[in-house]
Amino acid sequence: IKDLFDHAVMQSHYYHVLSTEMFKEFDRRYTQGRELFTNTFNGCHTSSLPTPEDKEQAQQTHSEDLLNLIHSILLSWNDPLYHLVSEVRGLQEAPDAILSRAIEIEDQNRRLIEGMEKITSQVHPGAKENHIYSVWSGLPSLQMADEEARLSAFYNLLRCLRRDSHKIDNFLKLLKCRIAYNNNC
Amino acid sequence: SPPGMPEIVSCLSPEKETFTCWWKLGTDGGLPTNYTVYYKKERENITYECPDYTTGGPNSCYFSKKHTSLWKTYTVWMTATNRLGSSASIPYTVEVIYIVVPHPPMNLTLEVKHPKYRKPYLWIEWQPPTIIDVRSGWLTLQYEIRLKPEKAAEWETHFAGQQTKFQILSLHPGLKYSVQVRCKPDHGNWSQWSPEHSIQIPSDFPTDDT
Repeated sequence: IKDLFDHAVMQSHYYHVLSTEMFKEFDRRYTQGRELFTNTFNGCHTSSLPTPEDKEQAQQTHSEDLLNLIHSILLSWNDPLYHLVSEVRGLQEAPDAILSRAIEIEDQNRRLIEGMEKITSQVHPGAKENHIYSVWSGLPSLQMADEEARLSAFYNLLRCLRRDSHKIDNFLKLLKCRIAYNNNC
Repeated sequence: SPPGMPEIVSCLSPEKETFTCWWKLGTDGGLPTNYTVYYKKERENITYECPDYTTGGPNSCYFSKKHTSLWKTYTVWMTATNRLGSSASIPYTVEVIYIVVPHPPMNLTLEVKHPKYRKPYLWIEWQPPTIIDVRSGWLTLQYEIRLKPEKAAEWETHFAGQQTKFQILSLHPGLKYSVQVRCKPDHGNWSQWSPEHSIQIPSDFPTDDT
């Protein structure tokens, strides 16, 4: 189980690094730091998933619930990541720095889902498989004719991905120390 | 005259559990002026006032664990009001997970070790800042060491990963060395360097070619 967790944490760490790089590259290229899109931010499609908001809440959450939450967040990003890759291609001078990361992140997301299913089957053998996820309905906004609105939609999607990948990495590291290292990392 | 515009200068979290924002005042227009910090949390319509103006020191607002939600954007601003009018700072938006700057590592200890069948070496050891929860995995720290002969200008830097111990083999005999260490969370910024510690390397310390 230690190896499974160590491997998953390496992936989730890298997943967040990639998401941060992609967000910053987009911000640098299209927003030039203008706070333009911040006011249009109305949360992420995964906001409805019950998520611990601080360390105490996370430490008081059962391992099975944290594992399911991580799994649900990952499942919730399957669809947007699939469309993100094709829609980034449609961006003005489709920036390879963003496209290559979007492709890699989609792959990381899939691998992490597999990793989480292996971990869950070991930590909670026989547990009912978790299929809960948040539906993403943001595709139309990525395809809008109005360039500013479309860029705003991209900005907020990448911002949510950066945030959610941090949640995944944070909770996985917590679980790794709790389960595989007896809370003594 | 009405007060000048104050400014929220920065916000930092030392352990991803609490955070503090600091401000800079504008001119007070020569009149008694009241200053108030307000904040809003993402997708909430409530405007809160700063919960604690003292814990973080002068010109600061401290958000304790109870007032800190990790995965939410905070918008913080300050107003200045006197008899002739008021002004407000530009809103400062922040997400706690991206403003983590830890305190420096602690209890740096240095020792020249003389093992029986091996060359002597400098043994360096330290501890993570006490307020950071590394043990439960809430934060993962990486470390970097730097050392130099006291009179030298250039530092020699070594990345220690997540270890809190390090061993240096190649040193100039007879010189006094200064050593510092700093840390960085898995997704965050480097701390300041720890205070300098020094150690005298014995003149019989073997050089590389011996």
